[in-house]
Amino acid sequence: MTVTSLVDLCAAGIVLLGVVLAVTRSIGRSIWLVAAQSALGASAAIGVGVSLGLWHLVVGGVLALAAKAIVYPLVLRQMLRASSVSVERHPYAGPRLSLVVAIGIVFASGAATSDLALAASVGGTRALPAAIAAMLTGLFLMMSRRKALSLLIGLLVFENGLSLAAFALTYGMPLVVELGILFDLLIVIVVGWVYARRMLRVFGSLSTDELRSLRG
Amino acid sequence: MTDVALLALLVPLPAGLLVWFTPDRHAGRVATLAFAVGIAGGLALTLPVLAGQSLRALDGLVVLDALGAFILIVTLAVSAIAIAGSPAYLRHERSLRPGDAARYWALLLWFVGGLTLVPLFDNLGLVWVAIEATTIVSALLVGFARTPAAIEAAWKYLILGSVGIGFALLGTLLAYASSVELLGETSDALAWTRLASVAAHLDPGLVRLAFLFALVGYGTKAGLAPFHTWLPDAHSQAPSPVSAILSGATLAISLYALARFHLVAVGALGPAFSSTLLVLFGLLSLAVALPFIVAQGDLKRLLAYSSIEHIGLGALALGFGGPVALGGLLLHLLAHGLTKASLFLSAGGLVESGRSRRMARLTGSLETAPLDGRAFLGGTLLLSGLPPSAMFVSEIAILFGGFSVGWGVAAAVAGLLLALTVAGFLFHASRVSFGPARKGPGPTSAPWRAAGLSIPLFAVALLGVWTPDPLTGAIARVVSVLGGGGG
Repeated sequence: MTVTSLVDLCAAGIVLLGVVLAVTRSIGRSIWLVAAQSALGASAAIGVGVSLGLWHLVVGGVLALAAKAIVYPLVLRQMLRASSVSVERHPYAGPRLSLVVAIGIVFASGAATSDLALAASVGGTRALPAAIAAMLTGLFLMMSRRKALSLLIGLLVFENGLSLAAFALTYGMPLVVELGILFDLLIVIVVGWVYARRMLRVFGSLSTDELRSLRG
Repeated sequence: MTDVALLALLVPLPAGLLVWFTPDRHAGRVATLAFAVGIAGGLALTLPVLAGQSLRALDGLVVLDALGAFILIVTLAVSAIAIAGSPAYLRHERSLRPGDAARYWALLLWFVGGLTLVPLFDNLGLVWVAIEATTIVSALLVGFARTPAAIEAAWKYLILGSVGIGFALLGTLLAYASSVELLGETSDALAWTRLASVAAHLDPGLVRLAFLFALVGYGTKAGLAPFHTWLPDAHSQAPSPVSAILSGATLAISLYALARFHLVAVGALGPAFSSTLLVLFGLLSLAVALPFIVAQGDLKRLLAYSSIEHIGLGALALGFGGPVALGGLLLHLLAHGLTKASLFLSAGGLVESGRSRRMARLTGSLETAPLDGRAFLGGTLLLSGLPPSAMFVSEIAILFGGFSVGWGVAAAVAGLLLALTVAGFLFHASRVSFGPARKGPGPTSAPWRAAGLSIPLFAVALLGVWTPDPLTGAIARVVSVLGGGGG
């Protein structure tokens, strides 16, 4: 398998999992779906890194695999057990509407990036639309769900898209920039987890419906 | 000499780790010392640059031009005010637990340290890394009080901030993709000095998309409407010194990042595309802020919406371009930073002594809290741009500059919106200052705090009637950077 087809395969998988996530209401299942999505993104980076001898990509990919595909899902799962909610019961957008929106996002991302003259060496002609589709799907998940855990999952989907874009557009990015970006993306979720825990303690639930006191 | 100054400026970052593990009662002193070293280093770095020298260190990773130096000075000045006001905040915050004070100081060190890194890097990727790092640290500071409202504000800030800044990363990546063929797969492809110099040969489609995403991303961070929804919550719930930095410094820093993209976009696409977008979002921010300021009941939210108004004015000035509007923009960033930082501290003092954020319950502050009341009244008058405020000069310059370069209608609309906003703002301020007194005397104030409140206000008033020659020279140098050229 060539490098480009490996990236294409992983990009397609990431988009597909994004659409499945949009119609999934069980938070437990969403956690494993997003873990699989993260694993796909990380293994694309590792595969490309190994075959082209770009070791910083391998390092970044292994770090991302450990954090986003193993540690975060376990932490999210533990939080899911601690809270009483396990299903996204009344999302702002139901499964059918979500499916339509998610598929619309995929086509719109393809159309928006179709006329860009991307450098051939960067190899991102198909990965970039996939990345933008994943980012927008993550954004849609965050806008259409009510539970704090679902929002964090949406943020992870958004970040998976962002990582794919980072890697598709630039697999020769300077190491210091790449590690800085990876570090920041990892810390965001940690801080989100800290606040989700505080919400659980103060409000007794993980529903963002409680967050309605600040207006005007 | 440069290396020593650079090291000194970076001292707050490792010092934060030390402060985290310092006992509460010593943490403030250690942190203040670290800040003092950082500020001294920052001055040693920036003053020569503002006087016309150029600075390049660490193999080209660090490049400081006049624009970066000016933003760095604003950041350091606002941070100094916030530090002066921090001990009083920690004394009056009632929800603290043992160890919280040390954590507050450590986070504040990292916040300020991260902000000071931004203008130093000659690399859009590292600029993004530093800004995102400050977003994360400041999210922890916004929710520092652990009240339900603070947690809500911090959650919104974290989620919306990360998404916004994620788009800024996509913009940065697209900028890299647009230049990687010309500049090679090195950090040169993200260096704004190099990008600006080859801008005319970049792929226009990619640059257009890059600027759009950067505008959404850094616009979210700056609080430009319609990406501002997190801002009133975060600015009103954060500890007052943190609000001061969020409003006075991060606003300038985000506008700085946006300006770098704007320069590349102008080079690649001509001025029409990015300038028009900046003017549109600037006007929208002014229009969105107006009704919320007029109908506001909460003192700190009033200041927060005023920040949206001023970032709108900043984006407008950047979009107008031309030496007059850009000179006004720089003076405005400095004056707004100083005034708003002082205002957040005095408003915080009023809220603490009045035990309420509602302005209806804080009336008569001149009588009940003499120091905070006077500082608040003085600050609001200066912020409203009444002479002799430096903001009178800067706002006139921005609007007049807009007229003179062909943005007459936009400048007229902006002037009208500004006048209405000022009227609403002054109405609230006079109610708070002169209304019937409600409570007993406010908290006694430390001399440091009095200095932190009053010195910036005197400086802004002084700048309105007399601009010292070094400042005029510095502003002229920054304007030449912003007018294109890149150095």
